[in-house]
Amino acid sequence: MSMTNVIEAEGLTKWYGSRRGIVEVDFAVAEGEVFGFLGPNGAGKTTTIRLLLGFLRPSAGHAAIFGLDCWAASSTVHTRLAYVSSEPGYLGELTAGEQLDYLGALRGLPRGAWRPMAERLELDPTVHIRKLSHGNRQKIGVVHAFMGDEPLLLMDEPTSGLDPLMQREFLALVAEARAAGRTVFLSSHNLPEVERACDRVGIIREGRLANVSTVGQLLGEHWRSVNLVLEAPPTPGTFELPNVEVVAITGREVHLMVRGDVNPLLARIASLAVRDVAITTPDIEDIFLRLYSAPATQAPAEVTR
Amino acid sequence: MSAAFRLEMRRSRSLILWLAIIALAYGTFLAVFYPVFRDNYKLVDQYLSLFPKELMTAFGMEGSLADPGVFFSTYIGGMLWPILAAIAGIGMATRPSAGDLDRGFLELALSTPLSRVRYMAAAIGGQIVGMAVLAAATVAGIYAAGRIVAAPFDLVGFGLAGAVAWAFGCAIAAVGTLLSVATLNRGLSAGATAGVLIAMYLAAAIARIQPDLAWLGDLSAFRYFQATPIIDEGRFPWGDFSVFGVVAVAAWALSLWTFRRRDLAA
Repeated sequence: MSMTNVIEAEGLTKWYGSRRGIVEVDFAVAEGEVFGFLGPNGAGKTTTIRLLLGFLRPSAGHAAIFGLDCWAASSTVHTRLAYVSSEPGYLGELTAGEQLDYLGALRGLPRGAWRPMAERLELDPTVHIRKLSHGNRQKIGVVHAFMGDEPLLLMDEPTSGLDPLMQREFLALVAEARAAGRTVFLSSHNLPEVERACDRVGIIREGRLANVSTVGQLLGEHWRSVNLVLEAPPTPGTFELPNVEVVAITGREVHLMVRGDVNPLLARIASLAVRDVAITTPDIEDIFLRLYSAPATQAPAEVTR
Repeated sequence: MSAAFRLEMRRSRSLILWLAIIALAYGTFLAVFYPVFRDNYKLVDQYLSLFPKELMTAFGMEGSLADPGVFFSTYIGGMLWPILAAIAGIGMATRPSAGDLDRGFLELALSTPLSRVRYMAAAIGGQIVGMAVLAAATVAGIYAAGRIVAAPFDLVGFGLAGAVAWAFGCAIAAVGTLLSVATLNRGLSAGATAGVLIAMYLAAAIARIQPDLAWLGDLSAFRYFQATPIIDEGRFPWGDFSVFGVVAVAAWALSLWTFRRRDLAA
């Protein structure tokens, strides 16, 4: 266990009888990092989080948080993390403030520790939870996560149901947490959110980790589309450059694809008389969809053992 | 007092409060009419003799209703208390594990430093206290109203009967807890606990009616919950009390062990 890794999963596998949960998942999350965890429903995101929380015993492999085994030392692990569930079952008979006081007491926080965060997120603590909208219930989870100072935040789709303003506030909170040196594990469907908040992203597909890379790498290793309008048609071979693929040249209009290092192309463009240029960068959603449209190499859709 | 236990008590208080009100009201109502049975016991006994003996036995009417012990056993011990104890026991037993897993609350509570054992121990503590409050209300209602109408109810006898009733209720709650933890299915565990109770009630009745099937009675919890000799003779049935105690402690201990080790997933 590296001292700089807060979370480490090695060969982490969970089978529910013959039904696949996750299979041989390996990843590590470094201290102070914001790690995004992407995948569609049923891919294994929640199973992974439950294994990290020690709610499930791994069928094989091992998961550790702060060097402690997630299953064997779960209570100790929980002293150093705050968790937001994707479908929190708050007690409808309590007010939001009472619920947060209860959860705070279990975390050793003083009464009312939630107040500053509730005010920031405009959560009314006096309303019974059963009367709150889905979005306001979700705010309770965000307040719960950020009201303490645990070094690890484990969040399972924390912004579903939040309005765009609150989503922006959430991203600000994540940025503040990162600035304070806290580590964030963020499972999400919200791809722009992951793109904006995370340092690295793990993409899980049919129970297996399909890709782990930095957001920059993920975006950088994919093709970008370049459309040029030149003052004059280019001479043949003008765009025979490393990392560049010519899609079409129609008179003065040029359509190229570039991947990886863009400097050779930029240098060539700078040497030409250019009337217009447009470079389209795929967002993480394009990449995500592309990864998911490719056939799985190892795991069929319904894996059984 | 831990936050987990305080919350457990708060979540149980509505159920216990309403059941206690029912117990108090029912006990008061019956006790008010006790003098009628006492003053007219010959007529009442004569009337009851018209019914088949098996029917009377099945409902626990073994003796004169003018007798405080028989009166309590007939209307409370053999009728009201098993129903109240089953409702309270099953409700409190199946909620913290299967119920809270279904609604998503279990993950919230157990993602904190609260250990599984402490969480379940708080739930068990709530069952013990809740069942004690309910047993006390059940006995208090009939005893207090009885005293007002000058019924010869003995406080110690009724108190001891209440203690055995409490142990009986705890055994139901403990078995319900074990089934709930083992299956993590609230409907299944509640249904199974209720089904076992009904089967044991029938087994106890059959055992009393059919001497060659008397062994069935030994398998029934109702065989060990006999309030009449406690109230009439003031003799505490340590053996029967211990049976309930052993079942309750063993089932709760097994629940804690199982809950600590099993996967928690709906």
